[in-house]
Amino acid sequence: MKERRDIAKKEEKNIEKTRELRSAIPAVDIYENEDEILLHADMPGVLKEDVAVNIDNGTLSLSGVRKLETKGVLKWEEFNDVEYIRSFSIPQTIETEKVEAELKDGVLKLHLPKSEAAKPKQIEIKAA
Amino acid sequence: MFTRMSDIDRMFGAMDLLRNKMGRIFGDFDRSLDYGPGLTLSSSGPRTNLYEDGDTFEIRAEVPGIVKDDLNVSIQGNYLEINGSRSLDTPEGYKIHRAERGTSTFSRSFTLPNDVDAEKVEANLKDGILYLKVPKSEAAKPKQITIG
Repeated sequence: MKERRDIAKKEEKNIEKTRELRSAIPAVDIYENEDEILLHADMPGVLKEDVAVNIDNGTLSLSGVRKLETKGVLKWEEFNDVEYIRSFSIPQTIETEKVEAELKDGVLKLHLPKSEAAKPKQIEIKAA
Repeated sequence: MFTRMSDIDRMFGAMDLLRNKMGRIFGDFDRSLDYGPGLTLSSSGPRTNLYEDGDTFEIRAEVPGIVKDDLNVSIQGNYLEINGSRSLDTPEGYKIHRAERGTSTFSRSFTLPNDVDAEKVEANLKDGILYLKVPKSEAAKPKQITIG
């Protein structure tokens, strides 16, 4: 009889993270050849200054913020300010120092060169 | 043994919260679907915004990875049409691990609310967004009326 069960959980326990901008997942294409891995991500309207590419301990994170300037009255809205955000795990064999990034026509292109040790090598068989 | 009023209040509070969240689920569902990968350029067309600024309309369309030559914009009266295509830009000799961006021909058309001046339309493609400035025809511009 003395037992009191909480009928409802207290709301203070839920900690919601609030983000300033809506986040969106950019569509990506990933290509690979012997020397490098290429990653193309769609980020229309994002300027170079607002892109962040981070590689930390085998994880590649991309983030691109787009802010549109409003001109006049918005009558019909299908896209607005967003933060494009996505992370990938990349193999240890990538040379993080030589990663290059390029932003053109709203597409972020990343070159991830593979380290020498990871490139496939032909092993010659000597006749014995 | 007796439940206190504050407990009952809290219970209803939680129910209200649940009800609100359920109500919002379908709204949020559409939103996250909108920005999923691969939906930027579906065949129904690129996402577009329409702005009105007194004398001009401005239409912006999200067209990442498209160059000028792949786009075709035409206007007839107040009927505007945007056509374009995007092909896979895989460089030679690469294996494809993931291809979400998609290739498609898209086409989207609009009937603008006011009469517009088709001669003076300007189009700009910058950073993957197409900006179209469409000025209104003289008759459709807002005018100040002086009170006599």
